[in-house]
Amino acid sequence: MLQDYLQAYVNKYGFSGYTELRAQQNRNRSVVMLNGSLTANNSGTSRGLSARVVKGGAYGFASGTGYGDDLEAIAKVVQTASSHAAFLDSRVQRGKPDFPANAPFVRKDGLEHDVPVEQSYLLGIVDELDSYIAERFPKLLSRRIFARVLDMEKLLYTSDGVVSHSYVPRSNVYVFMTTQDKDGQPVELYDVMGGYGNFLSTFPNAGDFFGKLEEQYEQLILKAEGVYAKPGIQTVILDSDLAGILAHEAVGHTVEADFVETGSVGGPMFGKQVASEKVSLVDIAHTAFGKLAPVPVFVDDEGTLTQDQMLIENGILTGYMHNKESALKYGHTPNGNARAFDFSDEPLIRMRNTCILPGTDKLEDMIASVEDGYYFTDMNNGQADSTGEFMFGVPMGFEIKNGKLGRAVKDTTVSGVAFEVLKTADMVSDTVTWTNSGMCGKKQMIPVGMGGPAIKVQINVGGRS
Amino acid sequence: MKQGFEVKDKALLEAAELILAEVRAIGADEGETWVSRSALTEVYYELGKVSMVRTVFSDKVCLKLLKDKRKGSTTLNSFAPQDIKAAVREAWQAAQSAAPDEAEGIAELQENLSFSAGDEQPDLDAMYRQLEQMLKDVRQDFPKISFDSIGIEHNFGEKLYANTNGVRLSDQRGLYQLSNMFMAKEEEKTSSFNYFATVYENPADRICEENRVRRLLDETQRQIVTEQFAGSFEGDVVITPGCLENILYYVADTYLQDGALISGTSPWKDRIGEQVASPLINFELVAEHPDLPGTSPLSGDGYVAENMPLIEKGVLKNFSLSRYGAARTGLPRSKNSGGTYVLGNGDTPLDEVISGVERGILMGRFSGGNPGPAGDLSGVAKNSFLIENGRITKPLSEVMISGNLADMLRDTVAVSQERENSGYWLLPWIRVSGVTISGK
Repeated sequence: MLQDYLQAYVNKYGFSGYTELRAQQNRNRSVVMLNGSLTANNSGTSRGLSARVVKGGAYGFASGTGYGDDLEAIAKVVQTASSHAAFLDSRVQRGKPDFPANAPFVRKDGLEHDVPVEQSYLLGIVDELDSYIAERFPKLLSRRIFARVLDMEKLLYTSDGVVSHSYVPRSNVYVFMTTQDKDGQPVELYDVMGGYGNFLSTFPNAGDFFGKLEEQYEQLILKAEGVYAKPGIQTVILDSDLAGILAHEAVGHTVEADFVETGSVGGPMFGKQVASEKVSLVDIAHTAFGKLAPVPVFVDDEGTLTQDQMLIENGILTGYMHNKESALKYGHTPNGNARAFDFSDEPLIRMRNTCILPGTDKLEDMIASVEDGYYFTDMNNGQADSTGEFMFGVPMGFEIKNGKLGRAVKDTTVSGVAFEVLKTADMVSDTVTWTNSGMCGKKQMIPVGMGGPAIKVQINVGGRS
Repeated sequence: MKQGFEVKDKALLEAAELILAEVRAIGADEGETWVSRSALTEVYYELGKVSMVRTVFSDKVCLKLLKDKRKGSTTLNSFAPQDIKAAVREAWQAAQSAAPDEAEGIAELQENLSFSAGDEQPDLDAMYRQLEQMLKDVRQDFPKISFDSIGIEHNFGEKLYANTNGVRLSDQRGLYQLSNMFMAKEEEKTSSFNYFATVYENPADRICEENRVRRLLDETQRQIVTEQFAGSFEGDVVITPGCLENILYYVADTYLQDGALISGTSPWKDRIGEQVASPLINFELVAEHPDLPGTSPLSGDGYVAENMPLIEKGVLKNFSLSRYGAARTGLPRSKNSGGTYVLGNGDTPLDEVISGVERGILMGRFSGGNPGPAGDLSGVAKNSFLIENGRITKPLSEVMISGNLADMLRDTVAVSQERENSGYWLLPWIRVSGVTISGK
């Protein structure tokens, strides 16, 4: 647990002008086992302090690794940030007033999750999973298991009296299996387990996950016997996992206010129909459907108390994600989307838990409604563009012929223009699934949650003719 | 500059020696550490203005120890003796639970050396002026360009590698880097985003004088209004240098590096000495190059790095394996850690690379899923133009390509005389035939 040395600093020195002072500790653990050999066995801590000072609308930021009870070291970081703000203010002379002050508050969130976990515990879980795979599926060409822990703890003091101490744990195990197809070519499939929580509570027993390994292997064998998708526009049911990345990549990035300001397609479409009226999209702050979201954020790194940010309501674009500065500029309320990854990072406008809200359709009815198309069940990476054009990789899926699932499909990609694809959404399932393993890259990496129901759309498939 | 071993910041040496002493004292057989200290200063532009000046002071320690070939490793960002001792204990505990692996080890004793390049202190005024000049040049010459962000940073750092075999290597360097993301817009229409990064030693350089920068800005301005086509066809793809860097990264990861070779999934695992690509392909990983300040003189596993060919005239010469990967596979260790790519130029002028295309596309950026282990890939050809009868005819959007990485190298039919240089890579345009290109 981070010790609070900032209170003593604030008591002694106070703040001069708008300032955010943040101590942060990211704790990482990773274990990688490749074909039974341990190729990574690492633990690490990134701990430090940062200060961001705003003078006349110019930002100065500084950080250092020496976070401790040396108040002079803290003062040096704040002074460096102040000096940078003064340097830039003297050049740009923007003359902006300080941000409106928040009402002061004190919060502590998630600190109960700070439970020590030994590296040997991760090794034990990974070893058990690996042994199970080796014994049950001896004909695999290769197997790789990657356990990863990222626990982020932040202690924030702001000049307007906000004090926030938060702890957000994440524990994942990735399992990669590779076999060969009939031509001897390698075919791979991976699955991710875990999510919010420390490793002990997320993975109490390896045996709890053997069933998922069996399912993954069955899917891999189907994929190895599978076919390439047909290229071009197809009727596709994107399962819950894919709807989540669609919400993130296809829409989320285009309605981040900084991207809007630069010229993303989200700007001119504000208040307009951008999706089928069956589609509503929200960036959840911390709680959804009566449970904690995958990456709960109660206070952002500018000290804003978070709230959900509605983005699309019944197909109409109704909101952007903001930091304090962009919210002021657009006349909107900041709902806490300013997030930083490491102690040395400044807050940027970021998503938290972006989710398409559930509809009323049953998945089986959706499949039955497709004469010739695809049911894509899994995703890997994705990217978006200022135009709303997006892509993401699809490592698993099936043909649909006459309303019934057919052959499996090999690796492919889907792409489209977000608002055009979402306008074709004519069925939305009634069940939301979250993924909690994603890292979004935008100058910095940041953990994000993505969720959604299954949706039926027209979308471009990057298959082979 | 290369010289005898000498660490400028004695705190690094003290931390490293303490780590190795603790590693020995706790009972480990072998140990190694990277210790580094750096200061990054950045001038940042976003939301239409120069918005921030930022400094990041950073200390970093990575350590690994082995006991009976059982490995444990830890990272931390403190040189404090009590933190170092705790980190060694943590790595030791991790090693106790690990299975032994005969391939584990550390770098053998070699000549201890130090390297240095660049300035220690950032010239903040010059960085600010350089950013202002760039914005002014772009406004004047490319008025439709809108920057999402621009970061000009100076990063100075010294890093030290030390291990229990007596190896001591250090590198101290200060470099400037500019990175950005931008698009073009006119009224309510916008282009796809684009970006470039460049690394350099002199903040007085005028960024917009570089041909590569002007080409990217110009092409992006011409992509505000795009067209789509229906259906799919097999055609030629001309890959720009920046996009080629992305493709070569996939090639290295899928066929040539530790993961693919240890797991045995690389289709090239038994093909050293064989023709795997077009005779036009000469692909090298470089550790030293007069035009590439972004190279690194040290490998990640504790060796002085050297240049190394991967593919010469289409023949597979080497894999890109770490010390561990080499020991696991019985193949030779790579002479560097990869990442800095040079592809030899060809003898076809760029104009002719394009004019030889009957029907195809010029692809400026690839946005796709990670290739499967066989090298199959598909994705969106971003920032692309249609080529018909040897001429670039129109900007495209929503066009996808699919193919196989090895097939693309094999089916490379032209390599340009011209190359572009980011400071990290030096690459030409290549033309690949027989790629599936699909529209809406």
